[in-house]
Amino acid sequence: MIRFDDVDVTFGEHRAVRGLSLEIQEGEFFTLLGPSGCGKTTALRSLAGFIQPTAGRIFIGDRDVTNVASEKRGVGMVFQNYALFPSMNVRENIAFGLAVRKTPKAEQRRLVDEVADRTGLAASQLDKNVAELSGGQQQRVAIARALVLTPKILLLDEPLSNLDAKLRVQLREQLKQLQHDVGVTTVYVTHDQEEALTLSDRIAVLDAGELQQVGTPEEIYDRSATSFVCRFIGESNRLTPAVLRRLRESAAASTAASDLPVLAEDAESYVRPEKVSVTVEAPAWGAAEGILSVDGTVEGRTYHGSHSVYTVAVDDARLRVSVPGSAAAKRWEPGTRVTLGIDPRWVLQYPEA
Amino acid sequence: MALFTPPPPEADELPAAAAALPSPRRRRRRGSGQARSMLRSPMVWITGVAVLWFAAAFLVLPNLTLLGTTFFPDGQFSLRAVEKLVGSERAMRTLGNSFLLAVTLSITVNIVGVFIVLVTQYFRVRGSRLLWLGYATTLIYGGIVLAAGYNFIYGRFGFVTNLALNIWPDLNRDWFSGYFAVVFVMTFATTTNHMLFLSSSLAKIDFASIEAAKLMGASTWTILRRIVLPVMRPMLFAVTVLTFLIGLGALTAPLVLGGPDFQTVAPLIVDLSRSPVTRDIAALLAIVLGVATIILLAVMNRAEKNGVYFSVAKVATPIQKQRIPNPIANAVVHVLAYLVWLIYLIPVVLILLFSFVDARSILAGSITLDSFTLQNYITVFTTPDAIRPFVVSVVYSALASVVVVVGLLFVARMLQRYRNPLTSLIEYVLHIPWILPTVLIALGLVMTFDKPNAWVGGAVLTGTPMLLLVAYIIIKIPFTLRLLKAAFASVPDSLEDASRILGARSLTAFRRVVIPLVIPTAAAITALNFNSLLDDYDAAIFLYHPLYKPLGVAIQESTRGENNLDAMPITFVYTVLLMVIMGLVMYFVYGRGSRAGGPRRPSRAARRGGETRA
Repeated sequence: MIRFDDVDVTFGEHRAVRGLSLEIQEGEFFTLLGPSGCGKTTALRSLAGFIQPTAGRIFIGDRDVTNVASEKRGVGMVFQNYALFPSMNVRENIAFGLAVRKTPKAEQRRLVDEVADRTGLAASQLDKNVAELSGGQQQRVAIARALVLTPKILLLDEPLSNLDAKLRVQLREQLKQLQHDVGVTTVYVTHDQEEALTLSDRIAVLDAGELQQVGTPEEIYDRSATSFVCRFIGESNRLTPAVLRRLRESAAASTAASDLPVLAEDAESYVRPEKVSVTVEAPAWGAAEGILSVDGTVEGRTYHGSHSVYTVAVDDARLRVSVPGSAAAKRWEPGTRVTLGIDPRWVLQYPEA
Repeated sequence: MALFTPPPPEADELPAAAAALPSPRRRRRRGSGQARSMLRSPMVWITGVAVLWFAAAFLVLPNLTLLGTTFFPDGQFSLRAVEKLVGSERAMRTLGNSFLLAVTLSITVNIVGVFIVLVTQYFRVRGSRLLWLGYATTLIYGGIVLAAGYNFIYGRFGFVTNLALNIWPDLNRDWFSGYFAVVFVMTFATTTNHMLFLSSSLAKIDFASIEAAKLMGASTWTILRRIVLPVMRPMLFAVTVLTFLIGLGALTAPLVLGGPDFQTVAPLIVDLSRSPVTRDIAALLAIVLGVATIILLAVMNRAEKNGVYFSVAKVATPIQKQRIPNPIANAVVHVLAYLVWLIYLIPVVLILLFSFVDARSILAGSITLDSFTLQNYITVFTTPDAIRPFVVSVVYSALASVVVVVGLLFVARMLQRYRNPLTSLIEYVLHIPWILPTVLIALGLVMTFDKPNAWVGGAVLTGTPMLLLVAYIIIKIPFTLRLLKAAFASVPDSLEDASRILGARSLTAFRRVVIPLVIPTAAAITALNFNSLLDDYDAAIFLYHPLYKPLGVAIQESTRGENNLDAMPITFVYTVLLMVIMGLVMYFVYGRGSRAGGPRRPSRAARRGGETRA
């Protein structure tokens, strides 16, 4: 449906996007994720036609749109600040694209009412001035304005970043539902990894203009392809060579099947906090399952409601371990000796840079 | 008018200019392919050719002619004009006087200006709103009108002088004349810059920093000296430079009130330019004035770049007025505030009053109930000769302000959208009138178009009513351009992007989305331009056509000698009409929101645009 073919975007000296190649499937909810300045917005804006790539081609369907003007690409877009026209009311905003197409007035009314209904805008809001709407309502108008033209592709540039936390979560779900109902191919830009993980069918992680990994949320989180992705997505514990050595010793003592991965000692290694289990008694996990044990000392605890995070000192490393709330009845005070269990399959290793 | 009292918003160019600068990010995003799209657009071509022609013919050529006349009188370089100037005692004396005036005003205007800003905006003074209205009278009343007003009240045949003569028959009729009178009048007439800019920089002080200082035990005086004034210092410096320039180029006040002993450069230029023999000295003096202006503005620009202007706090707490704890100091400040207020108000009130009084009573210095009449107004509105200057000025001002705004709407859009060496050059050239005194611009036009000129199709423009219109357009270009550019810049890029992606072509997006947001600003600029041109004298005196005498010239003539005393009540009526018009315009542009603001936010729509973003 959408194909980036070795796209480069350069601003003066600065290469904002480097050799980006991507393919996005029809109907997919696809997210470009990365820290600010990683080139995700630039990539989106080149897809919208606001930026001309310095090299490479962009295809929509089978059509090469690299040199096609924005208004002829058949894409809809929701801007970060919504870009509602302050000189027009809500209805006029939504109908703008239709008016430009010279759609008959009656038809415009019908389509606007329809899309307003679908995006959850009350009829009474249509005659309001856009400045009178709340942030969430403004966002609906922006989405309605894009969808009323039934674009094949919908581009969303951090549309939730201007909203407060609770509304953000609420609208996130509605957005996902809406996209599912409409079935429009959606390209979403965000720096919020939680948003990306919950919304997307697939995610592309970018850093410094370069594509790091494309995959499903699970792949991105559990099987991060590069150390950057691993560090950027979610939390992770860096395992020092000393800890790795301990784990290897534990593996040598184990009787588990030999098809378990062998941890390299000189690789950059991470494990996510919730993948580590913790106990003071004899480990509940059987050595046969291949779970490796290391001993440590509790240094502190932070409480997060649904879970607690313990900081455990192991040799020269401090590992954070996430323990679900249900198990929080057991509470370990600082200084308690504990045993940590780590499944080597959850350890992510990258060649030392 | 520009040199005596720059119309208040004119200096508002400073903050507006900063707003007009596109952020580097914005500019970068526009990077690739824009030169191509610029050349593809027919609108850009038409705008570009028109603006280049206008700039070459009316902004560059006249200045070259001026330089040529001065330094290349016979096609060869010559310093004869310089020798003539240095050899003329009168010319050298006026130069000295202008400099003296500039230095004096830099001190006196700052004292009065800072004082009125503090008592209206910083200290808790009873009736500060009323005070503000009194101090703000200079917004609707300045230039030749103000000079004439003071002259008719305190001058040789003024009411106060006549009144005083009834009591002290030995009083010198010219007591209000010369250096003292000029300084006095200009000091109180040119505090508008303080009112506008110093107020706004005061409003930007983070009040939390004042509260913090208080908690640490600082006194009112210490806070003022150590926290408030330092924050305002860069703006104070800028305003001082503007005041210095106003003093240096002063035309109307010395002309009307300077008397024989205190003549300054600008009136001399007017005088010398009338004769072909001395015209080169006039041109040279204008150039001296221009160079001084350029140097000072450059100094100001440099200094501005180094100043931390505003509070560093992300969310500044709005300033709250401070009480003066010492009761004696408090009383003194109150008394002074109202004394100054009276000085501002007396001419305005008397002019209003006298416009309803017959001339003989004013001259006799005795007004009774019988003296009041509507006859002056009837005369102005029923005598074609009397109403004519008013109509001429209204037509000139309206035409010029509409032409300049409509034309620059396209230019500003082009400059704001396409950044390249050519557009930068155009922008610089369009700012020429900002750095040159009106006197110099007008003189350049006179000397350039007094013979057939190929740039305007071989026509002679000097002596036609056309040239004054051209001058008015030129004078208003920098102010209009800066504010329009700022208006365009305040329209978020994403709005245009959004309309493009909804299928609108570039021109449609401009017409349907951008223009409606810029229109309120454009209307406000038109109104302000109209205001400031209405009582212009500086350009008119060089360029007016005898059959189309504008108001400024008519008013100035009414101040000359005893023969014109009949014209005095008519001038009062003119003044009242001007104050009403200007007051209304100011009210519509600034009034309905907050008082101390600039045209940076004249458009509710544009503001709404900003809010939508947040």
